[in-house]
Amino acid sequence: MEKILLKTDKLSKSFSSGGTLQHVLRNIDLELYKGSFTVIMGASGAGKSTLMYALSGMDKPSLGTITFGDKVISGLAPDQLAIFRRKHCGFVFQQIYLLESMSIMDNVLSAGFLVNKNKKTVIKRAKELFQSVGITEETQKKFPAQISGGEAQRAGIVRALINSPEILFADEPTGALNSKTGLDVLDTLTKFNGHGQSVVMVTHDIRSARRGDRILYLKDGIILGECLLGKYKHGDEERHRKLSVFLKEMGW
Amino acid sequence: MGKYFLIAHSNIRKAKWQTIATVVLVFFAALMLDLWLMLSMDYKRNFDRYHDKLNSGHVTLSVKNGSPEVKQFISETLEKDSRTTQFGVNEAVDATGSFNYNGGNISTEFIFLNKEEAIKNKVERIEIVEEGNQKSGVYLPVIYSTDKDIKAGETISFEIGNRTIDYTICGFTNSVMAGSHNCAFCAMLLTEDKYKELEESGYAEKSYFVPIRIKDKLGSEAFEADIKDKLSKTYPQIYVASNSYALISSSRYISQMICSEVISAMAFFITLIVLVVISSNVTNYIQENMKNIGVLKAEGYVSRQIVSSLMVQFFGIAFITAVSGAGFSYILFPAINTMMVSQTGIPYKTRFLPLPFILAVAIISGTILFVVWFSSRRIKKIEPVVAIRQGIQTHNFKRNPVPLETTKAPLHLALALKTTFSGVKQNIIICITMLVLSLIIVFSGLMVTNMITDMEPFINMVVGETADSSINIKTGSREKFMQIMEDDSNVQKAYLYNSVNVQHKKGSVLAATISDDFSKVNNQDVCIEGRFPKYDNEIALGIKYARQKGLKTGDEIILTADGKEAVYIISGFTQISNNLGKDCLLSSDGYKRMGVLQEENYYINLEDGTDIDKFNKDISRELGDDVINSVNIFAVVQGTGTVYVTLMKIIIAGILVLSLIVIIFVMYLLVRTMLNSKQKDYGIMKAIGYTTRQLMLQTAASFMPAVIISTAAGIAVSSIFINPVVALFLNGIGIVKCTFKISLVFNITAGAGLVLFTFLAACLLSFKIRKNTPRALMAGE
Repeated sequence: MEKILLKTDKLSKSFSSGGTLQHVLRNIDLELYKGSFTVIMGASGAGKSTLMYALSGMDKPSLGTITFGDKVISGLAPDQLAIFRRKHCGFVFQQIYLLESMSIMDNVLSAGFLVNKNKKTVIKRAKELFQSVGITEETQKKFPAQISGGEAQRAGIVRALINSPEILFADEPTGALNSKTGLDVLDTLTKFNGHGQSVVMVTHDIRSARRGDRILYLKDGIILGECLLGKYKHGDEERHRKLSVFLKEMGW
Repeated sequence: MGKYFLIAHSNIRKAKWQTIATVVLVFFAALMLDLWLMLSMDYKRNFDRYHDKLNSGHVTLSVKNGSPEVKQFISETLEKDSRTTQFGVNEAVDATGSFNYNGGNISTEFIFLNKEEAIKNKVERIEIVEEGNQKSGVYLPVIYSTDKDIKAGETISFEIGNRTIDYTICGFTNSVMAGSHNCAFCAMLLTEDKYKELEESGYAEKSYFVPIRIKDKLGSEAFEADIKDKLSKTYPQIYVASNSYALISSSRYISQMICSEVISAMAFFITLIVLVVISSNVTNYIQENMKNIGVLKAEGYVSRQIVSSLMVQFFGIAFITAVSGAGFSYILFPAINTMMVSQTGIPYKTRFLPLPFILAVAIISGTILFVVWFSSRRIKKIEPVVAIRQGIQTHNFKRNPVPLETTKAPLHLALALKTTFSGVKQNIIICITMLVLSLIIVFSGLMVTNMITDMEPFINMVVGETADSSINIKTGSREKFMQIMEDDSNVQKAYLYNSVNVQHKKGSVLAATISDDFSKVNNQDVCIEGRFPKYDNEIALGIKYARQKGLKTGDEIILTADGKEAVYIISGFTQISNNLGKDCLLSSDGYKRMGVLQEENYYINLEDGTDIDKFNKDISRELGDDVINSVNIFAVVQGTGTVYVTLMKIIIAGILVLSLIVIIFVMYLLVRTMLNSKQKDYGIMKAIGYTTRQLMLQTAASFMPAVIISTAAGIAVSSIFINPVVALFLNGIGIVKCTFKISLVFNITAGAGLVLFTFLAACLLSFKIRKNTPRALMAGE
């Protein structure tokens, strides 16, 4: 039986806009499993990013609970949530969001030193991660504005993984990249998932979604359907067909 | 023009809190500037206005022991002198005495005048400014009405010789040349009955009060010297006390001078801070609005229009705020006036002064306009396409300060230091602000240590010499007096310390202090260069006067007194402000070469715990009429010094409160700028797990290196230079070398307090970081 990492119970999220309450997420019951690569898909405005922010503790739900392991995180204060995120979550953003005033290495270490006080261990892991994503020592010394988008996003993945998080959240990680660099990033995520890293990715790109072993389709704030694809294998055409059929059924 | 206002209005709306903070700083700058200009341009002129109104003398004499023959001589001499325009020879009663004031004593020479005559004098008219219903009694100079116990209808006791005379206070007067203890003599008006009573009592001597108006008031000191010389040559036995326009117009405005100098320094520093802050605001505005500037240029706005919109925006704010600040100074000025009057003793009516007002507004608005223009010139170089693409980078890619991989500093400190090293302008603003505030702290410490908690260093420097008691005796009773002193176990030491006027030939009248042995005086620091006079041909001269005359140690000067002339060699320089620096020290043998002391004044140190008033009364009883006057110096210092101490307490409290306001608003502007420029960074850092508290501390800590270094440097440099700076402030009263004690403990503690306060203020002001949520970052808010 797969180990549950994160669980939601009637998770709802509403926003007030111009005096009107908009229900973006409605009573979502969801379980995320250790080692899985979960992809959240849906049309624009379906609530997929909102779901990911809520799951990752970046935002608080309006109703319902989120339990991480055996700890309810939905009621935590903002600073407690920050501590939760630094210890258990890693984030890869569409806009990459590296700190422009810091070198690539400092971007990673600023996240690593926050959790692990043993500087040597953190630096060693950062270097290993950089090597595994193909970022050279010379690039590590550069600033975000001096490197390519693909390199920056791979550096973002290294930052997300520096504290060995239990879940890596990726919000449209290839959205700002061209197809070649986007593929590199997807390969990197797939590789880490292959080593046991749990990943939750939001995307509306079918090529990216194919990397997941579990696809959740969100529509109007509810999970409309779920498709299990199994672990990703390169050149698996059956996987692509199955996903296409699922998405067609969902009205994609 | 409409376009400028449109852009300016939009800018102000977007940065309203920043605008408010700028407004507060500009407000204080204009307020201080207008206060300073009012004090320096008009306040002292009030002296001239009253001098003209009351037709006061440029030289005033009080001639004791004068006969009708002397009166005639004075009249003839003055009539013959082509410099004289008008004079009066009024009968008066003269006595050296004291009365209780401000919890201490006032001891000076009193000129008692017949009220009915004094208020009608053609020259040196004395006006009544407050009057009760009492028909018989005394009218005091208005300066003494600042004591809550001295009111019309109350009784005041004058100690004259060994007698106490009680008078009912009928009211208060304004006399320009004799209206305070800072005037060499102090005019008291008596109702006719009381005047006759005193005249006939024999307690005090009949005298002539001679106010003289001359053609050129700038020559008042030379005239004073001449007329005294003529009088003493012809009548060596008479005693003449005198003052001059030059002396009194300065001595009555010491508080105005100090206050004006402190306020001018504050006005200058706050204006400087305002200009640096506005320059930084403009630079930040350009950086933060690069895209908008690009869009405006792309739409067809030319650089001049964008620069002009900034100038309109800041000029509009500066002008309206400067007008308000300068206007507010009129609400504050009456309180400052009350404070000043307690020392000047000359009433001042607050009224609108157009020139200081216009100057204050023009200086503030003009300098701000210039700084905005200067700081916004780079807008001309911005290409629209580059700006739209945010093409101008602020980050320097050549260096990565405090690399986390190699630094030994803890994470948060390292991140704070990274921010510190990337904010040059922020550091400059902090450095200027903290240097100014450090100077204020050191100045406050100096005043607290040397004036407020312990008045002695201030008194020693300004007054020169103090003891417990001062007893003025007739010369003939010297031996008897000294025997009593020797026999009294309460007396530690008694030494001659007598003040007379001497004339420096081709120079000014000098207040000469005469002693048998200067090694006995308590304050050996009075002689700040060279040594005290030891032999009869030596003199120690006031350093300010000596510098004015270009005199050096070893030079010879000629003095005259009692109609005789003598040459003296300068053995050293002194610093006493009794006569605003026109002082000298002579040995008693030295003075004998010119004249003879008609009275001798002795300073006495008593054993701790001795009741000084009782001691003085006992001596007066024992010596009877041989005692001319006895003074409890401790009480006099208390009475006159309290005015200065109170004044200084108010000044210190004012500048400290203002400093705290300045630091809060400067920090607000800096923190707000940082929060804006790092908004995205805070969102990212929160997303990866930094808490609000950690980011607040990091933000506050990023200001600290500049705060700590500039405060430490400011405290150190100010501690070294504060005494010369204070000497510069007090130069007007004859202080050339300030020797105040510098309390390093106070300075270091206050400096640490300032750093802590700045840190806490920065922490609190950074609290807005809590609004930088990762959710807001993702949503692009």
